[in-house]
Parts: sequence; C-alpha cells; structure tokens
Amino acid sequence: MNWSQIISLVSAGNYMEVEKILQDYPYIVDMADHLREQKLKVIANLDTYVKRTMDSVEKLGGHAYLAKDKDEARKIIGDLVGEKKTVVFSKTNVAYEIGLREFLQERNNEVWETDLGEYLVQISRGWPTHIVAPALDMTREEAAKAVKKIDPSINENSKIEDIVAAVRKFLMSKYVKADVGITGANAVAADSGSVALVENEGNIRIDTVMPPMHIAVTGIDKIVPTMRDALDEVMVQAAYAGIFPPTYINVTSGPSSTADIELRRVSPATGPKDFHLVLIDNGRLEASKNEDLKEALLCIKCGRCYFSCPIYRTLGKEWISTKSPYNGPTGVMWNYITNKDPWPASYCVHSGGCKEVCPMKINIPEVIKYIKFIGSKQVGK
Amino acid sequence: MDEDYVKKQEATIRNVLVKNLMESYVPFPLDKKIATQWAYAINVPRGGSTIIYTSYMYQMANVFKSYEKYVPTFGSLGSSKIIASIGAKLIKPKEEDIKRFNAILQNIYRIVKRSNENIGYLYEEEPYSGSLLYELGFMDEFKEYGKKVFELFKQHKVSNIITIDPHTTNTLTNLKKYIGFDIPFTPYLNLIKEAKGTGKFVLHDSCLYSRFLGMYESIRTTIRSAGVELVEDPTVTGKGAGFCCGGPVGPLNDKLSNEIAKARAETLTSVNKDVLVACPLCYANLSEFCNVKDIAEVIA
Ligand code: SF4
Repeated sequence: MNWSQIISLVSAGNYMEVEKILQDYPYIVDMADHLREQKLKVIANLDTYVKRTMDSVEKLGGHAYLAKDKDEARKIIGDLVGEKKTVVFSKTNVAYEIGLREFLQERNNEVWETDLGEYLVQISRGWPTHIVAPALDMTREEAAKAVKKIDPSINENSKIEDIVAAVRKFLMSKYVKADVGITGANAVAADSGSVALVENEGNIRIDTVMPPMHIAVTGIDKIVPTMRDALDEVMVQAAYAGIFPPTYINVTSGPSSTADIELRRVSPATGPKDFHLVLIDNGRLEASKNEDLKEALLCIKCGRCYFSCPIYRTLGKEWISTKSPYNGPTGVMWNYITNKDPWPASYCVHSGGCKEVCPMKINIPEVIKYIKFIGSKQVGK
Repeated sequence: MDEDYVKKQEATIRNVLVKNLMESYVPFPLDKKIATQWAYAINVPRGGSTIIYTSYMYQMANVFKSYEKYVPTFGSLGSSKIIASIGAKLIKPKEEDIKRFNAILQNIYRIVKRSNENIGYLYEEEPYSGSLLYELGFMDEFKEYGKKVFELFKQHKVSNIITIDPHTTNTLTNLKKYIGFDIPFTPYLNLIKEAKGTGKFVLHDSCLYSRFLGMYESIRTTIRSAGVELVEDPTVTGKGAGFCCGGPVGPLNDKLSNEIAKARAETLTSVNKDVLVACPLCYANLSEFCNVKDIAEVIA
C-alpha cells in the first residue's frame, strides 16, 4: 500500500469509528463542550493556572518546573536524568518539540521509546507521521524490516502479532533496568497536581511506575482547572482518536505513596520515589494573549483533523516535516506557536473539514488564515 | 514543502495581483469581450439596482487553474502594459470552454430572473471580488481592494447582489466582516424555486458553500427538489469527511493541486460515476479526472 491508499483507508475508518463511538457514548459530546469551557478559563489566565498547578504538585511531594523554551527544558530534564542512565519514554510530542531524546542520548544515556509506533519510528530513524499513530505510514513489511534489527527471528513474512511480541520482549529487558521514565501528559489538573494519561498498550503504566524516577514533560496548554476536567480530557481525546473505551487511563499524583500504616500517607511506596513535572511554555503563553491564535491552545491532540485535511492526505509528514512533531491542520497552528514558522499555512486550501471534526470546535481555518497573513507580511515586496 | 519557492511565488503573485486589480479590477489581463458575451447574446440589462455578479469566476476558472504556470511570466515582466499585451495573448479560454460557460451563465440568469424580473449586469465594469487576495492571506491588500470594489458598486447604485459562485459569496461575507460592505447579497442557489433537472450524481461539496457558508443541507434540498438524484456516502460526502478539489493551492503548487483533485475524484467516483459541482474552480480541477457537471448544467 502506498501513502495515499493507507490514508484514504484510515481516514474513512476513523470517521466512521468516531461517529459510532459518539452514538454509543453520547455523553462524550457534552464532556467535550464542558472541557472547551474549562480550557478557555485556563487560556484566559494561564499564568495563574501554571502557578496553581506547580503549587499542587509540590504539595504532593513532587517537584514542578516551568521552562520558558526548549533550551531551558532540556537543561532541567538533563540535570534530573544525569548521565549513563537507562531512560524509557512514552510517546510524547513535547519531547520531540524540544529534541529531548537526542539531547539525552548525547549525554550518554540509553533512551528507548516504548510506544510501539514511536519505537518503530525510533529504530528506523524516522519522524512521526501522526500525533496519535506515529508510524501510520509504515506497512507490516516495513515494520518487520525495522524490528529485524533488534530481533533476527523477525522477517518480512512475520505476522503483526510476532512483530509486537518481539518489541515487547526487547522493551521488557529495558524496563527492568530503567532509571527514569519520561512521559508526556494528556492533561494536568491544576487543583490536584495530577497528571492524566491515556493509552492502550500498557507501556505508559510501566513507564510511570517501574523506574524509580518519573518525569512528566508537557506544555502549559495541557493544564485544566480540576481533576475532573483532566479525566474528561483523556476520555474525549481517546474517543475522538477513535479508540474507545481506551484500555488504560493513568493518573499520577506525585511520587508513589501509602497510607496503610496508621492511615498516615508516606512516600515512596512501590512505585517511583521521585516525581517531576516539567511544564513548557515555548510560545504558548504568548499565544494565549493573542486573540487570533489563542484558540489553538484548546487542542487536545486527538489527531482527527489530520484525516479531513487534503494537504496532509496528499503530502503526509512531508508537509511540515521534521520542523515539528505536529502536522496536519493542528500542526500548522502548533508549528507556528512553537517555532514561529508561518510557511506551512500557505498551503492551506480552507477545505474546512478540520473545524467540522474537531472536538474542541476550534475554528482552525480562521487561525490558519491569521498565520497565512503573518507569512504574507514577511514576503518581500 | 519547498518554503523558498512558496515565498518567491507568493511575492510574485501578490505584486501581479495587486497591480492588476488596482489598475483594472481584474486579477490578470483578460479579454472582457469574451467574458461578457453571454449577456450581450441574451440582452441582459446593463446596470440596475439588483445585479447578477459573475466576478469572472466561470469565465476565468481554467486560467486560475493554471495560475502557477502563468505567474513566472508575469513576474519576469516589467510594466503593466507589457503584461497586458502578453497576458491578453496568453489568457484566452478555449472555444469549448467559452461555449460551456456562456451556457451556464445564461441558464443561471434565466433561473434567477424567475424570482426577479429586473436583474441587471455590470458588463465590462464588473470588478473581480478579490477572492484570491483573501485566500492567499494578503489581508491588508484584500481590505484595500475591497474598499475599491465597494465604492464601485455604490457608484453604480447597486443595492442587491446575486452571486453565482462560492468564492465570491465568501469574499463578500468577509468584506462585510472586515470593511463593513453592507450591500445585501444572496447566492443564486438560494433563490431557486421551480427548477427542473434529471440525473444521478454524487455531489462534491464546495468547501465554502457547505462548510463555511452554512449551505450543506440547503444545497442538497435544492438539487433534490429539482428532481436530481444524489448518492451519499458519509465517508466521502459527509460534512467533515468530504474535502477540497485542490483548487486553492494551485497558484502555489500546481502538482499538489492536481494530486488532491485526483484523490478527490477517486473517492467521489467510488460512490457514483457522475459528479456534480457547485463551483467553477471545482469543475476546472476535477474534470480532468472524472465526469463532472455543474449544477447549472443539470437544472434549469
Ligand atoms: S485541532 Fe481539534 S481535531 Fe485537530 S488534533 Fe486538535 S483537538 Fe483534535
């Protein structure tokens, strides 16, 4: 199958699957509407919510940091991890945004992606094609070819199940000796300091409890007012990504703890003894103050808008390429927020499907039009 | 994507567009005799308070389609006079296209005349709406030119406009938003009452009509009421699943525009072999890859 065949199939599949999920679980639509309102509150007052979130994390016995840009974020995490460690990553777009994996590798750490798609991208030295399904453009044969490098028993005739099992075996050997687990966050609750993550593979569960240190790194846009909102966000994200119910929802509130003796909560227990939340600004705060741009911060990265975009469906990852892990309609907005790069917007054909399918009802074409305008001002007269 | 090429192309297009629009109200030199002959042939009244507004869209659709091809020629030329003479030679629609758009425009005129006897046309004095400026993101230039268009309509004492394509309708909607353009306008599709038509089609939605101007349902009702059968498939014609013909990216990347058109034509023809469109640019883009008809070719 070539890209155009894969994407046509996947797009039609996602469209119908999400429609069915919304019929079977009609409350998801209400949750999405409520979530939009709650996220708007945060955008209107981002500084306050960042502070509230950081205070909540510290109260739990965790540590919270705010990095203003990529360099600061890398330095904070680099210092926490140190050198010659084994680090397991769950899929995190922010880590791509700041070039974290390469940075840690350069500092003599062994770093492994544990999400299957992301792992395939890592071992084939590629770049994620889609925020939810990073290896969307890979066929079974291509995946087998990549995995053969770590397990010679895999060949081009191997079944998908065998490829998955080979990766699982390999990753298990890394989990047991991992010093640090690095995850992203689907949402962070300002009131409780909890990080919510949704997944199906089980790798995030392991990444967040097995290594003695858990670092969650995410953008300040992922902050929501309450724990309830955080759980809403993971449910809505999973539904609009087309996988519902999700196999796992993970909530982490500080380092592991127990209150089993005399009901006194102490840390650590079985899981990590250290929990760090690294919040990244990298253009988000500025965007929250820009009337034309701020709606983009509502994005919950469900990846649905990609499928309704004619440019993404034609160019795939070549559109925004390695400039950003965000692609498709949301990627045009997010590549601008994080890199100040207006050019991918020039290709927007204002097809408008993106705004129809977006759970957060972001007027994506309108935001992109603004970015186009910024680009047009930079074009020589 | 080739960022440097895009920057260069955008700069050239803007210069060519702005120069032509500010001097002559058209985006590139075009033969107005050809563009207006449809109206001369049926004696459409000149001017009037209610006008049919073509914005040259049906007449220029094929040129827009090949805009990227023309732009380097425009860009390498100096004064507007040279552009005009070379452009006039370059930009002449094919005979068969002229015949086709004349018939479409005349049919649309007859359809709208049923709801209002006194509909005029500005002939050579009709301005192009400026859609391309808006769609390429040249907002400052769009507003500046929009004011000129608004003034021109006022000079002609126009108080009611009937649009016939989605790009112009969308542009007037935005002129209203950005510069207070307050002359009422209605797309002709919303004025159709007793039209008749036949055939079985899959509708390729105009992105602007269906996803920006709230006409997704009403367009279907109009077509079906005329007796035309529409075949639907939610993954192809659903409001959020259907996608563009590729036209708008044509000026920057013709190859990409064609690839989108080809992909769109493939999904559409998987539903039904004959495709119906509501926009001249959709027609120009898709007709290379499938059998397409404009709504105004199947209802009368
Ligand atoms: S912009 Fe909307 S549809 Fe696209 S990824 Fe974000 S939330 Fe999902």
